[in-house]
Amino acid sequence: MNLRVLRGFFFVAAFAVASTPLVLAHHEPLAKFDDKKPVTLTGVVSLVDWRNPHVHVFMNVKTGAAGDLANWAIELESPIDLEESGWSHDTLHPGDKITVEGMAARNGSRQAWGRSVVVSTTGRKILNSTVAPPPMPLQAHPTPRWPDGQPRLGGAAAGTQGYWAFPSATALVESGVNAPMDAWGLLKNIADAPKVAPMQPWALKLYTERQRRFLQDDPMYLNCKPPGGPRQFQLSPGLQLVEDRTHQRVFVLIGSGNNNYRIIYTDGRSHQGQVGGDDENPLFYGRSVARWEGDTLVADTRGFNEDFWFTNGGLPHTDQLKLIEKLSRPNYDTLKYDLSVDDPGAYTRPWSASWTLRWVADREMPRHLCQENRS
Amino acid sequence: MVNCLGKLKVVLAACGLLVVCMQLAVVPVTAQEGHPLKGSWLGTWAGNKALGNDVLIVMTWDGKNITGTINPGTDNIPIKSASLNPEGWLVHIEADAKDKAGSALTFVIDGKIENLPLASRSITGTWKDNKGGTGAFRIGRQ
Repeated sequence: MNLRVLRGFFFVAAFAVASTPLVLAHHEPLAKFDDKKPVTLTGVVSLVDWRNPHVHVFMNVKTGAAGDLANWAIELESPIDLEESGWSHDTLHPGDKITVEGMAARNGSRQAWGRSVVVSTTGRKILNSTVAPPPMPLQAHPTPRWPDGQPRLGGAAAGTQGYWAFPSATALVESGVNAPMDAWGLLKNIADAPKVAPMQPWALKLYTERQRRFLQDDPMYLNCKPPGGPRQFQLSPGLQLVEDRTHQRVFVLIGSGNNNYRIIYTDGRSHQGQVGGDDENPLFYGRSVARWEGDTLVADTRGFNEDFWFTNGGLPHTDQLKLIEKLSRPNYDTLKYDLSVDDPGAYTRPWSASWTLRWVADREMPRHLCQENRS
Repeated sequence: MVNCLGKLKVVLAACGLLVVCMQLAVVPVTAQEGHPLKGSWLGTWAGNKALGNDVLIVMTWDGKNITGTINPGTDNIPIKSASLNPEGWLVHIEADAKDKAGSALTFVIDGKIENLPLASRSITGTWKDNKGGTGAFRIGRQ
């Protein structure tokens, strides 16, 4: 092999390195960054990479008296989250001098999670990624209904837009248990792990290890796997319920993850697989059949596979998992979600959880694709 | 010209192979997230003169018991008892079999799960039988 051949080889090798996907895509920040390593950086923006699943701001920071520069990558929330809090891709430009406060990467690389970004010349704080739900009306609006009186779970009236978001709980915890967690289901105190749900010893140990690893093994972020089970109703970008009354089914569409969908059949069918491809195969979303009990849609789901986490935070499940989900809309702005979990493979007894979601009116559901691990 | 094209093909082939290898090395394999012992496990029990070095174990979990078969289809040895101690992820398996002469063999396997978060997790340890046979044991989840 002569020099030119070698040069070509190394050029493509460098391309291969550069194109290698990041191991962690949209993720629990603590999986990658250490909240015990606070960092404050002042420097000049060199590039703003406005992309899912995380926006990155690259900045040159002076190191030492000699004026040497080091380039840091500041990781921020997704474009959707930043836009919700007033950012746009034009908020920062190369050449802007900024001060960033955040936490440094666990692996010691020049990466930080940005908690605060201030433009040095104006003192304007431009990062405020706290996204709040829309305010509730002082007097609750009535539940929208179909002409036959059945509640409309998925919409308001023909032609109007909207979706469900802002779940009041973003990780599964048994009803009545107080176990504080962050938005990704990471326990504030690992000693609370046994309280979260009545886990068998192996499941508790596995859950604890997942927590100790800061949820970095989550297959939804790692491998773009669907968020089966109740996790669909815990995702921050929200979901849509599309009621197909002609064919007696409800579609659950998610605006994040791999943008997959689940079907809840309301046509009286059995749990046996009846659609080509789902005959008796365990599935990410299982097989859901539902019936109306008054104003509540009661979905019975089983036939899950074991290739996903069914909640933020990493509670284990097995293919013996059976879920009863009760969906109701007590008023215009609220979806109530009551869940019963029965999995004798992972838990010592059935248990339940409950939370609500808020209606986001007059808006399309934001789309946030996990993009097969490519960020 | 022909010589240049030949070199180009070699470079492209080598680079393509390199890219594939790097992607495979970095992208994690799909995990099986349920009970850690469930699945098919393939490997070796070194020095097993009665049944040979290679071993295949299929295990499942019903919520209370781990059951399964050693070398299904050939030796068809049912697992008599198996346990998993989550403290240290220690595995203990016992099984009764017969050697080629038809005399009873009792196998005891003790090991530990390695790389728990990965689908390609493994169990390493030792095996022994009631006739003095013993050796290293290693199986990987398929």
